[in-house]
Amino acid sequence: MDRSKETVSTLGRMPSTRRHWSRAALLTSVGLMLAGCANNAPQDIFEPKGENSKKIDTLQRPVFYIAGVVALIVIGVVGYAMWKFKDRGQDIPEQTHGNPKLEIALTILPAIILAGISVPTVITVFQLDKKTDAECIINVTGQQWWWEYDYATGQCGDVKIDKPIVTAGELVIPEKTNVLLRITSRDVIHSYWIPALNGKRDAVPGRLHTLRMQADQPGIYTGQCTEFCGLSHSRMRQAAVALTAGDFQKWVDNQMKDYVAPEAGSLAAEGEAVFTANCSKCHQINDLKNADGSPVLSEPDLYVVPGVAPNLSHLMNRTAFAGWTFDLLTDECRVKLWNAKPADFGAMYLKGITPECFEQVALRDWLRNPPGMKPMFVDPNNLSSTGGKYRGMPNLNLKPDQIDQLIAYLLGRN
Amino acid sequence: MFTTGSKLFLGATALSIVSAIVFGASVGGSAGMLGTIGLISVSVVFAFLAGINLFTRDGNLAATESDVERNAAAAQAGVGRSMWPLAAALGAGGLVVGTISKPVVFKVSFIVLLAAAAEWMVQGFSERVSADSKYNEGIRKRLLHPLEFPLLASVGAAVFIYSFSRIMLNIDKDAGRWVFMVIGAIITAVGFVFAAKRGMGKSTVAGIITVGALALVGVGIASAVSGQHPIEPHPAATAAVCLGTASEVQIEEVDAKASQSVAAKSNPLANVYLTSDEQLYALNTGIGNVQYHEITVPRSNAVHVLFHNDSAEPRRLTVHLGTFKAKDGSEGSEEAECTTALEKGGTAFLSFKINKSQLASSTPYRLTVPGVEDQEIKLLVP
Ligand code: HEC
Ligand SMILES: [Cu+2]
Repeated sequence: MDRSKETVSTLGRMPSTRRHWSRAALLTSVGLMLAGCANNAPQDIFEPKGENSKKIDTLQRPVFYIAGVVALIVIGVVGYAMWKFKDRGQDIPEQTHGNPKLEIALTILPAIILAGISVPTVITVFQLDKKTDAECIINVTGQQWWWEYDYATGQCGDVKIDKPIVTAGELVIPEKTNVLLRITSRDVIHSYWIPALNGKRDAVPGRLHTLRMQADQPGIYTGQCTEFCGLSHSRMRQAAVALTAGDFQKWVDNQMKDYVAPEAGSLAAEGEAVFTANCSKCHQINDLKNADGSPVLSEPDLYVVPGVAPNLSHLMNRTAFAGWTFDLLTDECRVKLWNAKPADFGAMYLKGITPECFEQVALRDWLRNPPGMKPMFVDPNNLSSTGGKYRGMPNLNLKPDQIDQLIAYLLGRN
Repeated sequence: MFTTGSKLFLGATALSIVSAIVFGASVGGSAGMLGTIGLISVSVVFAFLAGINLFTRDGNLAATESDVERNAAAAQAGVGRSMWPLAAALGAGGLVVGTISKPVVFKVSFIVLLAAAAEWMVQGFSERVSADSKYNEGIRKRLLHPLEFPLLASVGAAVFIYSFSRIMLNIDKDAGRWVFMVIGAIITAVGFVFAAKRGMGKSTVAGIITVGALALVGVGIASAVSGQHPIEPHPAATAAVCLGTASEVQIEEVDAKASQSVAAKSNPLANVYLTSDEQLYALNTGIGNVQYHEITVPRSNAVHVLFHNDSAEPRRLTVHLGTFKAKDGSEGSEEAECTTALEKGGTAFLSFKINKSQLASSTPYRLTVPGVEDQEIKLLVP
């Protein structure tokens, strides 16, 4: 019997109610897809703001378009086949097996496309890997769940850095300067990514990976850790702030300035005492002195798993804290800063967190109960698995008036 | 009218909607919110898949014709005996026992359960393939042998290697050499005999191999029980040797830490050179050709420095790791680590980690070369 003439099924056509359903489903999925688009997305990979990300962009756009066309053709053909040869009780269409000409063509065509794409890809990969033309070096170290920046001494663009600078969360760089990040990790693998400035780079313990950073204009460029690194991975964010050479010099000068002790008898002075007693064993504040004049030295290696805690000397010169996740700026001030014109940005940024712009709620919550805001692995009642150390900041059971004093003290750390 | 595939996805849709409702109602806060959104998204995805399966009828025209399946000759045969339900039950039981006893029991039971489920499923399927049980058995083998053979072979190889390694760890280093040679020779000889005597019966060969394997595993277990021979650690240079205050003892390997992190070799923080006229400088990774005499080292971070000796003398690079007060308040002595003494042209890694700020140490952190005066590279640890 000739099978192609056989009728395979007598099932009827799809009833019209079902067609309504499938149309509704289609509309819903298109709606859901469009909901993914936003016009105010700071981490848009299609909006490069620096030399390196622009190189990636010039590569990825054509590839994306070619891939898009290929996808449309494939989806179209599959869709057409599904529709055209759907079982309506008709005869089985003619069956063919093997078509050397078509198969060879369909092997060669993708091979040509891939070979074509590989040439600019390899060139770009090598350009992005170059590490001999850096004008500034910054060591970037990830740990659960925040990034630390150590500025190596020496030239950074036009600015000379005499003493190492240590900050957290917010990377400050001079604009139009080839900055080389040397990235590593103190615990698990993390990944550093500022989409507007370059691709991602894994931070692997024991390895040093370099990543070029260059921003064309002053501004704030956000990112987040992109390698799952534990419970609070989503609260491990970061930003890069680019400043003009002049403003960068001011920022460096501010980092170098002497410790400003709070006025004796003030609330902030009480805060200093609370800090020395409760916080300084983990957090360094440069040049903070004990009553006897000896330096207050932090020893986070004894208390936290990765052996470091953020340096708080200039906390109020960053706009967010704890893995750059919670705001120190009020909504109003943040929006102003983020939308500032490049020419005005630096001056606004260098003001730091002024009392009018200080968003206290998150910081107070943080001091009250850090693990409540950032889930952390280690059970404070059972630290045996980590050799008696905490991961992240523990709850220190501070009293409300201690928190008031600390807030007053920290507000002066700019 | 519902196809098999769409039933699965419709069920999953219903389940995820119910879970979303239950989860949303019972878990509060942002976790509840996120979880509910996640579960609703899951149900949308399942509904979408169910829709596709319904629309295409599983891409399987026969799927809806269940009468044919029920009345086929293959469906009339009785169900054969199977040991897999028993194995699955043991696995499930072990799983429960494992949760309260040892993790390894849990893991083994899990594997047993998986294997039993797979075998059982394929057996159930193959028994209904046709009315001919011989043919069905063939189908079962065809599906499962590609899985079973490599798995059993690797389990066998693992047992073999593990037993052998236990024996080698138990006996003395020199005896080990002989044991290795003798066992190797015996295996080769037996292989020759098998190859030469073609007429040998299958059961004879199997018998010999079984006896050999049992002997190996038996001795292996005995060795594992009696433990390992002691392994002597490599001697390490003392701080006194590194600081040049004690005279040299010939040391084979000093930098045990660097050899443990292979990756270090491609990622030094800096390259440190001692020139032929005994000048010391560093090239900072990332900056081309600027000679540095200080390196910034992040705290609590394992860093690697690659030392190149171009001077005529054998030289070592020493890192001064500071002097700290002991717990009882007494003044401590300076800590240091170093590379081996390198001949001219040699390179070696020095790995170290500094936990405390430079302010905490009464002597500066730095890199020096014992025997070379007035040359040092400062280590800045903020
Ligand atoms: C046991 C060590 C430890 C102690 C004690 C400690 N902290 Fe922390 N703190 C940390 C760690 C670790 C982090 C980083 C947590 C994160 O971002 O995930 C942190 C983060 C912070 C941050 C955010 C800094 C930034 O830039 O991101 C502030 C502010 C802070 N701590 C203030 C305090 C104050 C005030 C005290 C004293 C009441 C204190 N900490 C005591 C370990 C500690
Ligand atoms: Cu991370």
